[in-house]
Amino acid sequence: MTLSWRSTFRGIVLGGLLLAIEPVRAEYRRIQMKVYGLDCELCARGVGASIHRLAGVRSVEVSLKTGTLEIELNPGNTIRMSDLRNRIRENGFRPMGATVTAVGRFNGSRFEVLGTGESYDVAIPSVKSVDTPELTFDIR
Amino acid sequence: MKQIVFLCICCFCTTQAWADAHGPAFGYSTTTLGSGDSSIETVLTWRSGVAMLGPRFSYGVTENLQLSISAPFDLNYGQHPVGRFTATMPGEPLAEALVAWRFHHALTGVGTRNESTLYMGVGGTTQTLPRTDGPPLNREPSYYIAAATGHISRSYYVWAGGGYQFYGHWGGSEDHQSNSLLTSVVVGWRPQFFYKDYPRPDVRFFWETTGDWVGMARRGGTSATTPPPGGHFRSLATLASPAPTPDSVVLPNSGGEGIYSGPSFLYTYRDIAIQGGVLFPLWNQLNGTQPSEGIRSFIGVSYFFLKGRR
Repeated sequence: MTLSWRSTFRGIVLGGLLLAIEPVRAEYRRIQMKVYGLDCELCARGVGASIHRLAGVRSVEVSLKTGTLEIELNPGNTIRMSDLRNRIRENGFRPMGATVTAVGRFNGSRFEVLGTGESYDVAIPSVKSVDTPELTFDIR
Repeated sequence: MKQIVFLCICCFCTTQAWADAHGPAFGYSTTTLGSGDSSIETVLTWRSGVAMLGPRFSYGVTENLQLSISAPFDLNYGQHPVGRFTATMPGEPLAEALVAWRFHHALTGVGTRNESTLYMGVGGTTQTLPRTDGPPLNREPSYYIAAATGHISRSYYVWAGGGYQFYGHWGGSEDHQSNSLLTSVVVGWRPQFFYKDYPRPDVRFFWETTGDWVGMARRGGTSATTPPPGGHFRSLATLASPAPTPDSVVLPNSGGEGIYSGPSFLYTYRDIAIQGGVLFPLWNQLNGTQPSEGIRSFIGVSYFFLKGRR
């Protein structure tokens, strides 16, 4: 059996493409979280800076008017919701419900954000079989 | 030499930044730094012609436990009034370590919380205060315990608190300064104009009212002035002063009670806070003929290191 130049070239291109494709990761992409107790500029600055220090956080915006944090996360981050909640508590505030955009996998009615060990009950039965979808949902 | 080193340390602190920028200028509040956060600050106070500069470092051990070290010192010598007049810093030249424990912390809504904090401090003298009626009085060790409770929201603030400063007498000397009590009620509000979203300058205004009591100083032996009959043992003074020994007598021109009230402000932007305030005497009752206190003023600047833990 001999390899033709054409077959070798195809193999190299295919291998390159496989290497170039970034594997779909399960992770949080965006989190908008309600926080109780934020009353002043210093409080907002403190909690914002503290969360920004977590590896994988691209940006944090704090609204004192609505008491919300808007967190954008970098691709490939390994941040868990529990990390964020702990950071907020360490600053003396109370994390409440959140609207989350994440990539994960359905396991029955639970949406698992793989790699974080965190999963949520998300009632979207029609997409039960879809692997690694990006989904936006509310958590309490 | 020790004084020079001490002054150098203080000056170093003051060049880093300049006040407790989380609450009112004089009265008690409940706020503490976040876990891993720290601040460095300096306050300049003025009472009865004596200016005092107070550098302080604070560190948030946890979100509910804060450690502060302050060392206020007199910039000029005068007839220094005694007794604590600000909640979180000594009223005389002392180096004090103060622990604040926020033992009650109820976060009830967006921008609102109810909380209560307990303060405990210990300190030692850094400068002696000259007296016209004899040698300086012993002021160490100094122990301080206080508590505050309050409601915080985006639009208004209310705090109430009280603290007691106790002076022991190391070395067995009976010449020692009296204990003091400070209480306060603070009401604060943020004007609608400053309801801006972060990051924008934030300004709050407070109206502070403090009530303080200073006991009568004591001297051992025969060097003390003999008190006039009956004149020194009125009011609360006799209740909380250390138990007299057979040889010690109270100093006639020491101690008294007073109520002060006035406005203060707090400006914060990014890592810097500036605060100031003035208290006016509403009522004064002194135990002797010492000069009565007038206006008390306060200005301070803080720099915050708000990064939290890694």
